[in-house]
Amino acid sequence: MAVVLEVEDLHKTYGSGRLAVEALKGIDLKVNAGDLVALLGPSGSGKTTLLLCISLILEPSGGKIQLDGEILWDHGWCEMDIRQVRLTKVGFIFQARNLIPFLTALENVLLPLDLLGLERNEAHRRAMELLKYMEIDERAHYLPALMSGGEQQRVAIARALATSPKLVLADEPTGALDSVRGMKVMEMLKKIARENQTAVICVTHDERMIEGFDYIYRLKDGQIMLDT
Amino acid sequence: MDLAIRDIRQHLGRFVATVVGIGLLFAIVLSMNGIYQGFVFEGLSLINITNPDLWVVERNRGGPINEQSLFPEFFHYSVSAIPGVEKASPFIIYPVERHIAGQSRRFTIIGYDVFTGMGGPKNLVAGRPITQAHYEAVAHQKLGLDLGQNFRLGLHTYTVVGLTKEGTSPDGEPLLYLSLPDAQEVIWLPDNEEVRNQRLRFYQSLVRSGFFSPQEAEKYLSRSAIDTHKVNAVLVRLAPGAQAREVAQRIKDYLYLSVFTTPEQIDIMFKGRLDRPRMQLFLFRTLLLIVCVVIIAMVIFTLTLEKIRSIAVMKLIGAPNRVIVRLIMEQSLLLTACSYLIGWIIIHNTYQGWPRLVLLTPGDDLTTLGLALAGGIIASLLGIWKALKTPPALALGEQ
Repeated sequence: MAVVLEVEDLHKTYGSGRLAVEALKGIDLKVNAGDLVALLGPSGSGKTTLLLCISLILEPSGGKIQLDGEILWDHGWCEMDIRQVRLTKVGFIFQARNLIPFLTALENVLLPLDLLGLERNEAHRRAMELLKYMEIDERAHYLPALMSGGEQQRVAIARALATSPKLVLADEPTGALDSVRGMKVMEMLKKIARENQTAVICVTHDERMIEGFDYIYRLKDGQIMLDT
Repeated sequence: MDLAIRDIRQHLGRFVATVVGIGLLFAIVLSMNGIYQGFVFEGLSLINITNPDLWVVERNRGGPINEQSLFPEFFHYSVSAIPGVEKASPFIIYPVERHIAGQSRRFTIIGYDVFTGMGGPKNLVAGRPITQAHYEAVAHQKLGLDLGQNFRLGLHTYTVVGLTKEGTSPDGEPLLYLSLPDAQEVIWLPDNEEVRNQRLRFYQSLVRSGFFSPQEAEKYLSRSAIDTHKVNAVLVRLAPGAQAREVAQRIKDYLYLSVFTTPEQIDIMFKGRLDRPRMQLFLFRTLLLIVCVVIIAMVIFTLTLEKIRSIAVMKLIGAPNRVIVRLIMEQSLLLTACSYLIGWIIIHNTYQGWPRLVLLTPGDDLTTLGLALAGGIIASLLGIWKALKTPPALALGEQ
């Protein structure tokens, strides 16, 4: 199985001097294609910080990140176009869905394809395909405000998958949903990982949602442990 | 995908309301352009219509339009005698407010030698020029008189023989053309009561002096006759081949009068009577334009703040800066262009109803559009700065 993500000795410190807070203390993590990885931990344990560092939204303080065989970050060195990496290789799913409110469901999914420069008809076909895959195609022309939370989250997942990323980072994707809709979203994530060989790292508080995940990591005080 | 249009579609009501509001401001900016051009046009129209080779006026005066000039009529004979002068014609311009056809009206009387034609109306829209020495008039259409209408002015009744719509006084008042003697009488001849009073004052001063008996004083009363033979300027047409500068110098040297060419008269008006109001109007429209840009900047900044999370999401999913810059700048330019269009439509459909001339020119319209669009770009900078400063982590609730 191909390694999609490899994190070595990742550190992140907020602030400096006496006020410095070490959020990540030497994280090592390896994720293969199609892996379903859950990150559990209490608030403030560094889960979201880890996701932000992996996607280089936050600059790590030290360590090395390798994504899809390419070095993304190596102790302060970064030679890649991070935006391009995020556009083509990483998909994001948020707790708050974060759909663009003035775009319809279809347009939200079209946006990354448009940014990628995909031909219009091809992009449209792909976006509709993804909405159908997420079983939300009948709402394609609805604005987010007219959709339920679960529907919005499915559109968000479709958007995250639009550019066929190698890695999907999901930050509390079921946090704002009731358990039935949450379960459905998790089923979708599992489906993506199994059928598309996309690696999924999912941050969650709710242990009921991670049934069937391949690896469960627990983060505590900035350190990661594989849950056996 | 055009994100700006889609965002506007979402907030269409607010966008339209803002466009109408700023459009009204642009209407004022465009009207100020028109008022400015109309002010200059009216200020110079009489000079441009009259357009003699030389204007001879009272010594050391910038008259007769920029400032008052008054001297005896007979000077035009002396001017005629100067080498290089083909024709010299007396000319009167005098603003008045009189009752005409039952209404009090402000207008400017132009008195000219109807037989030489210099200083008279150029293009008539109806009727004919004045051909008699007395009691005929050519009126500007704005005066509200009809062709053939008789009206009382001063001591006599005049008939409108021609109508013109060309030119106004520098104050934008309509012109009433009269023959020179008629104009002199209307302007400078006092009414009978005033004549009687003047004669009585003259008589009493003679008697009180002790040098004249009442009988002798009676004989001298005729000397107190009111002199109306005054003019404001003499218009000169040069003989073929004559040099304006040389002829002007001869008139200055021999007749103790001031002389200007028509371009010099225009320059005097620009630097004199038109200068400050022109600057005032220019300043006012500049300020209005700045106000428009500031309002657009505020609206765009507010719109940007409202979608700051969406911008963070776009950054997070890999949107390059140019996509975000385009979103904000396009909205700003659309807001500016639509507002300008509203303003343009409003002013172009109402300017004819304004009390004074509003002269709208394509050049001014295009310049204002260009400045407005440049302002729109400047107005978007604040929003762009805010958007580019937004961290993508904001999409995840992180700052």
